Amino acid sequence: MSVESYLEDRLDRDVDGEKLTAILVFMLPGLTLFGIFSVGPMLYSAVGSFFTWDGFTIGQFAGFETWIATLNDDAIINWDNLLALEYPMGALPQNIIWMVVHVPLSTFLGLGLALLFADLRGRSVLRSMVFLAFTTPTVVIGLVLLFVYDPQAGIFNELLRVIGLEGQVRNWTQEPQIAIYALIAGGVWVQTGFSMLLYSSALAGIDPALLESARVDGAGRFRRFKDIIWPLVKPVTAVVVIMSMIWVIRIFAIVYAAGGPSGGPGGAFSVLGLEVYQAAFSVPIEYSKAMVVALIELVIALPMAWYIASMD
Amino acid sequence: MTRISMRSVSKYFDGGDTVANYELDMEVDDGEFVVFLGPSGCGKTTALRMIAGLEDPSEGEIYFDDDRVDGTPPADRNVAMVFQNYALYPHMTVRENIEYPLKVRGVPPEERDERVAQVADLLHIEDQMGSDPGEISGGQRQRTSLARAIVREPSVFLLDEPLSNLDAKLRLEMRSELKRIQNELGITTVYVTHNQEEAMSMGDKIVVLNDGTIRQVADPEELYERPRTTWVAKFIGSPPMNLFEGENRDGRVRLAEGNALPMPAETSSQTVSVGVRPEDIDVSTEAPDTDWTVPGTVKTVEPLGEYVLVNVEVGGSVVNVKVPHTDATAGDPIHLTFDPTDAYLYDGDGELVA
Repeated sequence: MSVESYLEDRLDRDVDGEKLTAILVFMLPGLTLFGIFSVGPMLYSAVGSFFTWDGFTIGQFAGFETWIATLNDDAIINWDNLLALEYPMGALPQNIIWMVVHVPLSTFLGLGLALLFADLRGRSVLRSMVFLAFTTPTVVIGLVLLFVYDPQAGIFNELLRVIGLEGQVRNWTQEPQIAIYALIAGGVWVQTGFSMLLYSSALAGIDPALLESARVDGAGRFRRFKDIIWPLVKPVTAVVVIMSMIWVIRIFAIVYAAGGPSGGPGGAFSVLGLEVYQAAFSVPIEYSKAMVVALIELVIALPMAWYIASMD
Repeated sequence: MTRISMRSVSKYFDGGDTVANYELDMEVDDGEFVVFLGPSGCGKTTALRMIAGLEDPSEGEIYFDDDRVDGTPPADRNVAMVFQNYALYPHMTVRENIEYPLKVRGVPPEERDERVAQVADLLHIEDQMGSDPGEISGGQRQRTSLARAIVREPSVFLLDEPLSNLDAKLRLEMRSELKRIQNELGITTVYVTHNQEEAMSMGDKIVVLNDGTIRQVADPEELYERPRTTWVAKFIGSPPMNLFEGENRDGRVRLAEGNALPMPAETSSQTVSVGVRPEDIDVSTEAPDTDWTVPGTVKTVEPLGEYVLVNVEVGGSVVNVKVPHTDATAGDPIHLTFDPTDAYLYDGDGELVA
């Protein structure tokens, strides 16, 4: 059906005025809240990012000035380091690296644990233990990471010493080139609990007869996973991947707790959320920069939110 | 082809607390169609799963011909199984489902296509090959699942209540279809069901199970004609056999209702029971001129067209009688008679005497 005939078809239909009114009345509270708390701030930021700001007071129209300045700000994108693949690369590339490392790791770890726990006695205890991290405030996770990686008393360095890797002992959160990965490990720990939980319920929903049938058909462990389990949990994988992408793009507390407002040594693991906070709430206040960074975050997250919301 | 032997096979669950099967001993001959028949929870499915290799026996041995197979995974036994809910892979088309066992076993694509086309033809599902399992009817799903099992040319064909999810008409159709296919292919087949009509109509041999043990192994006719225990007698037939309690008086049977039957009781057991099939009993509203009858009261009369089912209360229990027609109505006093040669005598342990 062409777009034209579709529209004609829609217009030809008698619109029931009373019904329409009723629908609008019922939608009004929701739309109002949505307008005030979602659409409003987005538009406000979008417009505001093209103006100069004096504190929280709007000033002159500035065009793309703030946008250009922000994208050339070393804290957001450090072009030289980015090309040299050296940290700090700036919050945007670092946030994307975080996503690229974190999402597959937490997804596969979650699936792996879900598979491992599926037929285990005491699985509910194990699942709770893994999921606990997800329920913990992320600020606390950041603090725990500081304890774990503490150069003197930290358990991680102690572990390295015990297994004979003294050479690897270091101050994990303060070395610019590796600190971000140390933090990503913490993020993975949190998200694995979430993806494990979703995968567990997806696995429980697979008819055991399917796997038995595959066994009789001659499929080994790996083929059963590849041919039966993986395709059947695909919708859950989509949810897990997108949810963790969104989670990473919004990440803030872990980074703040572990590295302070600067985001680690020279901002080596700074992320977009931290830069928004910095620009908006620390002196000098750069409100328009905060808006620009927030909009960049939004542009990345919105399509994912759209995808999740439009899934059947 | 393959002969299956089970030797003292037992299966326990929950560390021995649950006995699913106890000392099963039986043989399935090459090309034979054997039915495991029993009420739900009797262990028939567990027995089938042990043959498939989905469960390992706790004790005992299973042989395919002369090879001991318990302990070998299902993939290495060359068995094919049809599950009660068909277990079709929902993300694959009908063709992909049927093709899957061949694909897993590394059969080259040209041969795969050929064999898939063959079974599709055999089962009349050529038109559904591109559909998803969710889009086709129950009967077509059943056929697909059969096709997937047959396409591999297995040496043993296992079916776990394959018809129980179909409606009555389709069930009849698939019953003869299954029998036809099994005849054509000559594959050794084990079929699990709780439906005795299916068992009787399809099985070359029926294994009756209860409480995890084998109660009787017989061909359908023998099972009906000579149920070896009162349990089997009461299980087979619809309605099942009627049992009259009685005692052994000097080698003659005396019923609890006080009648001496002209029937020898060749057993040392003091208490006996007499089994008579519903169709072998006659009812009459007036006392017949025989020297014995079993008196009772009509409880209900069910005219079923083909015959009339009369439920008669005799000494606190209900006796089912099938007659061509009757004038009796509920509440009438009635006399039951039967030819003693049609009756079965069971001893106090419920074992068949004669």
